[in-house]
Formats: sequence, C-alpha cells, structure tokens
Amino acid sequence: MIQFINMLLIGIGAGSIYALMAIAMVLVWRSTRVINFAQAGMALLSTYIGFELVQKTGNFWIALPLAMILGALFSALVEILLIRTLIKHSTSGPVAGIVPIIATLGLLGVIRATIGFIWGNQDIQIQPPLSKVGFKVGEETIALSPMNLLVLLTVVGMVIILGFIFQKTNLGLSLRASAYSPEIAQLAGIRVGAIRTIGWAIAGAAGAAAGLLQTVNGTGAISPDSLEFSLLLTFGFIAAVIGGLESLPGAVLGAVVLGLVLAVVQIYISGTLVFIVAFALLLLVLLVRPQGFIGSKAGRRA
Amino acid sequence: MIRTNRRKLALTSAVLAVAAMTASSLPAQAASDPGLTSTTIKLGITVPLTGIASPGYNKIPGAMKAYFDYVNANGGVNGRKITLVVKDDQYIPTTAVAKANELILKDKVFALVGTLGTASTKAISASTQLAKRGIPSLFVNTGFSGFADPKAYPTTFSILPSYQMEAKIMGKFLKDKYADKKLALIYQDDDFGRDALAGFKQAGITFTTAIPYASGSQSLPATGAGWISKLKAAGTEVTVLFGVSSASTAALANAYAAGYKTQWVLGSVGGDATTIAATNKAYVPLLFGAKGFSFAPAPTDATDEYIKLFQSIYAAAQPTQTFDNNVVAGMSNAFVAVQALQAAGSNLTRAGLMKTIESKGASFANPFLTPLGYSATSHVGATGYWIGTYDQTGALKPDGGKYTVYTTDSGTGPVVESTYKRPAMPAKGLPN
Amino acid sequence: MLKKHPLFTFIIFGVILFLLSNRVDELRVFQGATVAIYVIAIASIILLTGYSGQVSLGHGALLAIGGYAAALSRNEWGAPVWLTFCIAVLAAALGGYLLGLAAARLSGPYLAGTTLALAIGLPSIANQFTILGGEQGLLFDIGTPPSFLGEEFTQYKWFFWIASLAALIAIYWLRNVMNSRYGRSWKAVRGNDVAAELAGINVGRNKVLAFTVSAGLAGLAGALLAMTISTVSPGAFPLALSFSLATGAVLSGVTTLGGVMIGAVTLVAIPEIVDTVVHRFESSESVANNLPGLLVSTLLILTVLFVPNGPVEQMRARHEKRAKR
Repeated sequence: MIQFINMLLIGIGAGSIYALMAIAMVLVWRSTRVINFAQAGMALLSTYIGFELVQKTGNFWIALPLAMILGALFSALVEILLIRTLIKHSTSGPVAGIVPIIATLGLLGVIRATIGFIWGNQDIQIQPPLSKVGFKVGEETIALSPMNLLVLLTVVGMVIILGFIFQKTNLGLSLRASAYSPEIAQLAGIRVGAIRTIGWAIAGAAGAAAGLLQTVNGTGAISPDSLEFSLLLTFGFIAAVIGGLESLPGAVLGAVVLGLVLAVVQIYISGTLVFIVAFALLLLVLLVRPQGFIGSKAGRRA
Repeated sequence: MIRTNRRKLALTSAVLAVAAMTASSLPAQAASDPGLTSTTIKLGITVPLTGIASPGYNKIPGAMKAYFDYVNANGGVNGRKITLVVKDDQYIPTTAVAKANELILKDKVFALVGTLGTASTKAISASTQLAKRGIPSLFVNTGFSGFADPKAYPTTFSILPSYQMEAKIMGKFLKDKYADKKLALIYQDDDFGRDALAGFKQAGITFTTAIPYASGSQSLPATGAGWISKLKAAGTEVTVLFGVSSASTAALANAYAAGYKTQWVLGSVGGDATTIAATNKAYVPLLFGAKGFSFAPAPTDATDEYIKLFQSIYAAAQPTQTFDNNVVAGMSNAFVAVQALQAAGSNLTRAGLMKTIESKGASFANPFLTPLGYSATSHVGATGYWIGTYDQTGALKPDGGKYTVYTTDSGTGPVVESTYKRPAMPAKGLPN
Repeated sequence: MLKKHPLFTFIIFGVILFLLSNRVDELRVFQGATVAIYVIAIASIILLTGYSGQVSLGHGALLAIGGYAAALSRNEWGAPVWLTFCIAVLAAALGGYLLGLAAARLSGPYLAGTTLALAIGLPSIANQFTILGGEQGLLFDIGTPPSFLGEEFTQYKWFFWIASLAALIAIYWLRNVMNSRYGRSWKAVRGNDVAAELAGINVGRNKVLAFTVSAGLAGLAGALLAMTISTVSPGAFPLALSFSLATGAVLSGVTTLGGVMIGAVTLVAIPEIVDTVVHRFESSESVANNLPGLLVSTLLILTVLFVPNGPVEQMRARHEKRAKR
C-alpha cells in the first residue's frame, strides 16, 4: 500500500516538473502558434542567470523571482527580434510551417554555445532552498518533500493566476482573441504584436521557474549540455501535446499522466523502457485522441 | 631595375626553398614514423569536451597536458617534448572517427592516447584501421574487456580493469561479507551493466531485486525515487550500484530524501566522491559508510606520493579546477604513456613502442595500486581493485587501514589477494 | 544543360569526382564520403519537407534503422555489400511507412515533436536485444577494396566511391521522381491540402508515400554512415545528428534539390574551418568548443529569416525577376 501511495506521489512530483515546461510551451503556442523548441534552452539560460543571482544575493527566494523577470524579458526580446521578423518575412508555401520550428532550433544552438562561452562546459551547482527529505506520516517517510511541495504549489499557483488572467482580465481576453484569430483581433483594436510579446514573456517566466526548480529539485547541477534539459524539452512537449496544447489545465493533466505512467513503468515493469513508453504514449494519444485530453479538434490534424 | 631585382629575388627564393625542402626532409624524415622529430613527439586524443557525457570527462585532456608540460619543462622524454592535440568528439562515434582521422591524417600524430567510450573506441579502431596501419592507440579509457585482446585489437592498449573483473571482485566481497543479507542491484541496462551481471553470475551471487535503468533515464525526476521505493518494498539490506555517477547521485539523494537506510556498495565508475561532489557538494556526506572500489590511490589521499605530485602539478597548471578522479585518471594515463615512451628509447618507432609495452609494460612505474597486466598475449592495464569505506568527507579509505588489492581476469579465473607492492615513484615523477 | 541532358550531367559530375578522388589527400577523401552521405540524408529531408510540407527532427532514428539493418544482414547472413544497402533502404522505408501512417495525421509542430521523441526513444531499443549489440554496437565491415584497383587504393577512397555513387544515383533518381506524377502531386499537397484534395489527389496516401521514400533514402544514408565508421551503435545516431540534418536541409533550401550540396558541405566544413582558425590564433578552449555550434546555429537562423527557401531558390527567383524586366 505504502509503495502504491509513494508511486502516486513520485509520479505526481515528476509530473509537476514536466508541467512547468508544458505550461511555457502552451503559452507560446497560444500566443504565436509556434512550438518553441528553444524553450529548454531559454530555461537553461534563466537557470544560469538564477545561479549568478543566488551567488550575488545568497538568497534563492530573491533569485527566483528575479530570474523569472529576466527570463520574461529575454523571452520577450526573442519574440520581438526573432519571431516578429519571422512573421514579417513569412512566405506562404511549404516552408512557412517549418520556419518557426527551425528558427527556434537555431536559437537553442545559439543559447547553448553562448552559455558555453560565458560559463564554460563544466557543471555549476545551486543548493536547494528547502529540505528534500520527505514528510513523515507515522513511521513512514513518504515521497513528498517540502521541495516537491514547492514545485507543486508553483504549478497550481501558476495555473490559477494565469487562468484568472486569461478568463477575467482584458489582457486575457486580448491574449485569447489574438491566439484564435489575429486578423479579427487586430480589427477589434487589439495590438496583436504587443499581446504576443506578453504571451512570450509569461512563457519565459514560467520556463525560468521550470529550469531553476527542476535543477534544485534534481541534482542541483547543470551544464550547457545537461541531459536534463533535452529531456525536459521532450517530456514537456509530450505533456503539453497529450494535454491538448491549448489549455493550461490540460498541460498540467498531461504532465501528471505522463509522470504517473512513467512511474508505473519504472516501479512495476522495467526502468529500461521509460523512453520508448513515453514515445508510445505520445503516439497513442495523437492517434486515438488527437485533440488531447482537453482541447478542440481543429489544428493538429494536417 | 626593379624588374630584374624581382626576378633575381624570385630565383634566389626558389633555390632557397628547394634547398630548405631537401634539407628538412633528409635527416628528420629519414624512415621515421609520423608525429616524430628529434625534439618532439605529437600525440592525439579525442574526448567529449561538449555534449551530454562531457562534464567530468572534459577535464581529462587538461590533466594529461598538465603532466606532459611538467615533463617537457624538465627535459622531456629522451630529449623529446610531448605535444598533445585535443579534439572534441562529443561522445558520438561518428564524430570520434572524423576527429581521429584529422589527428592521423592532418595533424599526423605519432599515436592516439586515452580515447574514451567503448562505442567510439571501437568505431575509431575499425574505421581508421589502426591495426593495419600500425598506429598505437594507447591506454583507452573504457572498461570493455575486448580491447585488452591483442588478437582483436593488436595496437590498442587498455588502462582500466574490465567491468567484469570489478564485478567478480565485488562478488567475492559480497559473498565473504554479506552472505546472509538481502542483496539488490541497480545497473545500467547496456554493455556496462551487462558485463557486471556476467561477473556476478560467475561469482555465484544472486540478487533478490535487480533494477535495470536505461542510460540517461537517471536524469528524469522520478527515476531515483522509483528505485528507492522498490528497494524499500523488497526489504533490501545491501544495495550494489553499478552505474554512472549521475545514477549514484540519484540513488543516494533519493534514499536520503526517503529516509531509507541501506548498505551501499558502489562500483568504481559511479563511486567517485569528487565527481559526485562536482555535481553537488551536499551529497558527499551521504556517501558516508558506503563501500567503494578503486584501483588508483584516492584523489584525497595526500599521503600518497603520486597524488601529492599530481596535486601540485595540477594546481599550478589549472588553478581554478578541482582535483578529482578524472584528473587522477588523466594524469595517470599521461604518466604511463611517458613511461612507455621512455622505455622505448631514443630510437623511437610505433612498432618499437608497442613491443616495449608488451615486453616491459608490466614493470612500468605507475600510480595504480594493482599490477599492470601488459604482455604479448594481453593488453590489459590495471588488473584488480582494492576495497574501502567512504568517510564523512567522501574520501574512500581502504578497509583495515591499508590497501588490500584483489586481482583476477576477465574470464573464469579466480579472485586472489595480490601480493603486489607498488614500486617507488621515480624521482620527481619524471622519466629517468 | 542540366535541364536537357540530366543523365549526361550526372555522369560528367561523377567523372569529375572520380578524378578528384585521385588528386586530394586521404582526409579530404574521407570528408568527401561524409559529404556524400549528408547529401543523401539531407535530400531525404528536403523530399519530406520541401515536397510534402512535413518536417522531421528525428531523422537520425531512420538512419539508425538503415545502419542496423545493413550491419545485421551482413553479420548474420553474410549478405553481399550491395544487398546490405538494399536491405537498409527497405527496412528504413518500412519504418518510415509506419511512422508516416501516424505522421500523415499530424501537422507541422506535432510531427516535429513526435519525431523528436522517437529520436530519443528508439536508441534505447538497441540495449533490449542482444542481437543489436548494446551500447558498444555492431561491427559493419564491407571488406577491403577489390584488388584490381591496386595496392595504393585506400579504404577511404573505396568508401568515397561507394558513397558518391550512391549519392549520384539517389539524387538522379529523386530528381526523376520529383518530375513524375507523384512528384507533382506531392508539390500540390505541400501547397494546399484542400486544393489538392479537390483535384482528386489522396492527400493522406501521398504523405505516407513521401514519408516512406524519404525514410528509404535516410536508411541508405544510415548504412553508408555505418560503413564509414565501420560500426553501428546507439551513440552514432544522437539527437545532435537529427538536428544537424534538419539544419543542413534548411541551409540547402528545402524547396529544391538544387542546393543539396550547400548544406552538406557546410556541415563538414564549419568544424574544420573553426579548428584551423582557432589553432592559428590560439584561442581559449571554450571558444574552440562552442564556436562551431554558434556559427551553424546563427547561419540557420539567418537562413530562415532572410532566405527561407534556400540560397538556390533565392537566386533563381532573383534571376527570374531580372529576366522579366
């Protein structure tokens, strides 16, 4: 029984990390219809900035929001300098669909190399702000630590705050409008360009939180080549897609499902299968329920 | 006037050039192997300087260079100074082959040294046809036992003991010490882990729980926690970890987080405290009480004459880097290479060098605490392990206060306690 | 000339390559073989992207299928070399067909992400079955060059000949396919799904077919890649390879096969140039390590920003404009 409960907790804990990245992907997708393959690279850069801030201030709780703000600024800058230029130069035809994918891929390479220039290719370390020892329930230590709880609360907080912004504010209305129909939004007097930049900025902040929290929740070490970040990108993408790619709760649900499925595979089947199972899960959802758990049917079909 | 002068100049320089070419090509090039002049030896290495496997391993070439420079500053080897050409292979076999080709065909190195990774080493050997061309590949950094077989890889020399040797020695240790305990094994599900399984089988060890993991998956957030949950449920008392350091880190950190106590037994690859510390200093105390295996003196063992020397050389060459097991590995590798070049004499050739390692290699001075196994029929480097316990600082201290070394082979041979006594270090650690 | 006598042009090009291989040193010959392999792999992506509007970030996985199929057929059944390449093509095409069935239902970014997940997931299979040789991989030995070529004929020259010949045949064949009925309907699909459907083209089936053919070519490239490194292992087909190939395709221009050499040469030349420059100026280690990645990525971004259809297409368009004036 305790093993089963722990498995649930482990799965949810892992899912909450994927969720942070999935949220960032969904935000970018909703604002510009782009899957940002540089998302993990941007998160990595924010994490390095967070590392510098922790060094300077000596306090994680100051460094985290600052890194999120800087991450947001950087992400906005990317939108303004790269994505806008892309949209301006966009041609119709076969390339139009792949240009953003390739451009963000190029951005990923630039960011990695730049980090390598500045910080070198060795590991750097960030110490966790909270204990990673699980809470005690009676005699048993369960697989839920204050650190896990922080990640979970961040995810829940993000979904609530962003949900509020999207549903209840003018900004949210503009964000949604420009996502669904940029032309009509433009006609309605919404400054679509600025709204898109804001969408990217929020995603950048979410990505920064994802990078920093996943690092301190994991081994605490990163390098420009960290495997964690390639995996974070892929698993965040899988989570976002099986969740529907349009909805924030969907992304979180997708992430938790992914986390749980992998935990089950790891504990009850075999640890060798995780990568192939993740791929199979993605394919299965795309084929059986292409709109994801939560999501409208249009869009992802060719 | 100007024109005649220019023509004259052209003529003179042409004559000079021809003269220079004949002059330079005659004495130095006379029947000598590539990468060699009367004052220099050029060696080449491909290692992951970037890419997923780079952290840790990317310190190896710097460490080797530090030792070579130290030797060069003190007169070189038989009057020759060593240069090391370093190429980044990103741990991708295809890239490794391309880079090895650059080393051989463009930089024209005398020998390759310290190639890292089984797949890369195998690809380089097969594609560049090292054996056919007679190019030595010295002291490859992989525990795959195949490279020690001169029939399959005539010009390749190992330096690490094989994983199978390690598992056999570990197996004997488990049997002697924890025969009545519930044993578990966490292993990487590829050749690395599978060699270990074969070794344990030979030692007659059965594990109540065996947990394989896919290489790379140890970096996922749930992996380590999953292992611990399984170990807990099985009531494991002794857990053997035969994986890479990131897997050790994941296991130790999650055991700590889950408040789970077990007797850890760590393989040499993943049991390096300094690598774990490079990941996160906070994990070092978690090693306390764990059993570990090594064949080199611990990097923290300041009483060891080699470690003392290496530390001072490295501190001067790379003041910002920490001295860890990767550095010891790199410097030891360079040290043995220098011994081999020294022993091959001033009339150095590729064939001569390899002959020398086969005939005299077993008696080379070296930092390792186990005998070297080089002979005409085997190209194995270190041949055994000593067993120790980690203290609070993450230093591996030999059990019983002194290094007790066990040796064996990669086949069916028995595990025996070695009587080997490491010869004293040559004066100042220099070739003499 | 190319328009009127394509076969003749290809033969001339082949003869030039042949003569060239006798003139340059062995390292260049090896790099030439690598360029030829990249040409095939990039052409396979161009076919997929440029002619069917789909993109794959996991082509490395398809190359892996080809490489393993070739090595297995050689090691297990002792298949002759030419047959191992055919088997590689068929095996990868089969894999591509299955993937294509799923891919035909996915649009751009979904497919990109799915192929990305495949590139991460597939290599772990090599460790599941002992026949695949695990992490250290399998040897793939195509043997020494035939003796009538002479003692001086090196192994790499042999690789170069095989790879170049394969590339020439593949590109020639592909060029003909593109000008055939299939090629035209693929172009229609990429332009506009709905219009193609209305014109009576089965969009789904065409996409699957494009994916299958593309995968077959990728399989050939994979087998040739395995040949040059004489082994196959999971590590030889990392995510970085898939990204490089996608990069090469974009640098070449995804709408036409004409520029396929550009991407292939760039991928091989940039690390080499950086290496030379860095050694000339004795720059620091972090520059040497990170400069190639930075250059390639920057080039990639500039290309999609300013010449999204590729340099060749751009030049052609400019030429046409001028001609109209």
